[in-house]
Amino acid sequence: MLTLKNVSAGYDGTDVVKNISLDVKNCENLSIIGPNGCGKTTLLKVIANLLPFKGDVEIDGKPIRKMKGREISAKVAMLAQTSGIYFAYSVFDTVMMGRYQRMDSGFFGLPSTEDAQHVTRCLEAVNLVAEKDKEITKLSGGQLQRVFLARALAQQPEIILLDEPTNHLDLKYQVELVDYLKKWAPENNCAIIGVLHDINLAMQLGENIMVMKNGEMQAYGKTSEVITGNLLEKVYEIDVARYMAASLKRWESLQG
Amino acid sequence: MKTKAATAACVSLIVVMLGAALGSVSIPPSDIFSIISHKVSGSPLPGHIEPALAAIVWNLRLPRALLAFFVGAALSVSGAVMQSVLRNPLASSYTLGVSSGASLGAGIVILYGVTIPFMSALTLPFLGFLFGLGTIFLIMAIVSRLDWQMENITIILTGMVFTLFINAVTMLMSALSREHLQRLIFWQMGSFSMKDWQAVFILAPAAVLGTLFVAHFNRELDIMTFGEEQAKTMGVDLKKVKWILLVTAAALTGSAVAFVGVIGFVDLVAPHIIRKLFGSAHRYVVPMSALFGGAFMVVCDLIARTIVSPSELPVGTVTAIIGAPFFAWIYFGGRKKKAKVG
Repeated sequence: MLTLKNVSAGYDGTDVVKNISLDVKNCENLSIIGPNGCGKTTLLKVIANLLPFKGDVEIDGKPIRKMKGREISAKVAMLAQTSGIYFAYSVFDTVMMGRYQRMDSGFFGLPSTEDAQHVTRCLEAVNLVAEKDKEITKLSGGQLQRVFLARALAQQPEIILLDEPTNHLDLKYQVELVDYLKKWAPENNCAIIGVLHDINLAMQLGENIMVMKNGEMQAYGKTSEVITGNLLEKVYEIDVARYMAASLKRWESLQG
Repeated sequence: MKTKAATAACVSLIVVMLGAALGSVSIPPSDIFSIISHKVSGSPLPGHIEPALAAIVWNLRLPRALLAFFVGAALSVSGAVMQSVLRNPLASSYTLGVSSGASLGAGIVILYGVTIPFMSALTLPFLGFLFGLGTIFLIMAIVSRLDWQMENITIILTGMVFTLFINAVTMLMSALSREHLQRLIFWQMGSFSMKDWQAVFILAPAAVLGTLFVAHFNRELDIMTFGEEQAKTMGVDLKKVKWILLVTAAALTGSAVAFVGVIGFVDLVAPHIIRKLFGSAHRYVVPMSALFGGAFMVVCDLIARTIVSPSELPVGTVTAIIGAPFFAWIYFGGRKKKAKVG
């Protein structure tokens, strides 16, 4: 469904992503991990057509360079870290924005009954129906990120890109967000490509994983087969065995 | 929400009527209706209304109140667009050099006596509008060369540099021709005095069509407040929509400024007050900013022309003196209550 062939991209003439080739199938959950600055976010921006790139990116066999913004957004949605919210929209109105590329109702673009029903279904999926009239500026970080997830779902995408959406969230909300996505995506024939800071969470999300370092692909395949202590040591340049032993010791002491 | 909107529309109409009714000689609203109906449909004027009074209402007060309304509406809608598109609560057409450009155009007309053949009365507004709009076109053309993504920060910085540069040119021109300086200063302060129906007939359609056109982009405006990348991933053709909306907002400001001079503050406060009262959705923000900004301007002009009668205050100073505390009351009043509860 999504194919990347020899993709390179970057900023100010310097490639941050180098020669990546990838094939993501329907309903596949793919996690991308790697140290800071390795090009994970840049790769997501290429897939969302937010950055110019070299090579080919195709969705359902069609090059994204030849697709209009509306056409891409009907297939690809993106959930990023929450940034500053300046304007107090209601939860319902915010999620309705996800319907933009599918709405065409008159001069003032008012939503149809079908759009409203779809938005309600998305709010149900993230358990926010009761908060639909609340202003988003009055929500907790976790609730706000669920609103943005519902907005991404409202786009009815074939691929959801996650750009570290769980940063700044409590552990509970991090796990909750991944759970919502893992339940919703297969029911709606949707693939997930997720960049998550937490390796455990990334492994929990994706049955497949891609490991990046310095803009290049280091490993790609089934999570259970790809992730090894040696690989993590090589990529993150840390003593994984010592780190894990220390973590286990702390966990055991907490258990009493 | 519909009730609130209908109430706002009725209040605006009443305010315009009051703008025509009140002054050095106050006229009952019923007489205002009789005079309007006499002029529009030719119905006989009631005996107790003197023709001179009817002439004051029809030729002076009504066009002035209507002009104030459409100027306030155009400036407020323009402010709402600038704040949302540039994601900056302090952004306005003035930040992007529209009023500076218009002032330069006005300066050329006032200081050097430039006139356009066959339309000498409209030379000042025409050149003011042209220079105001020309400035934003120049800024946007430069920005699109500097930054292919046309990011907001590039637009704002370029706008500010241009504003300072054009202001310096206007000041230099003023310093070199002091005999006309006072007229330019008064123009820059903004005023509705001596305005007739001609100005209303030109500005009213511009303000109404501009507002409707902006309202057509209400969904894009909503989405753009969440940032440029998010807007793109939701399918907004960002570069195109940004160009269209910024130029439309500049045209709204430019046409208002061209007729009445530089009037600040309303474009900043009206959208904020409306967002506080009606929420942030632009399907409400755009029309309600137009109604509120229009009514607010009529009230400010009424104060400007009556408080030191027979003299007049510059309306720009009244918008700020009345607007600042009103804005603080609406915007920060809620916080104080919340803090007490908390």
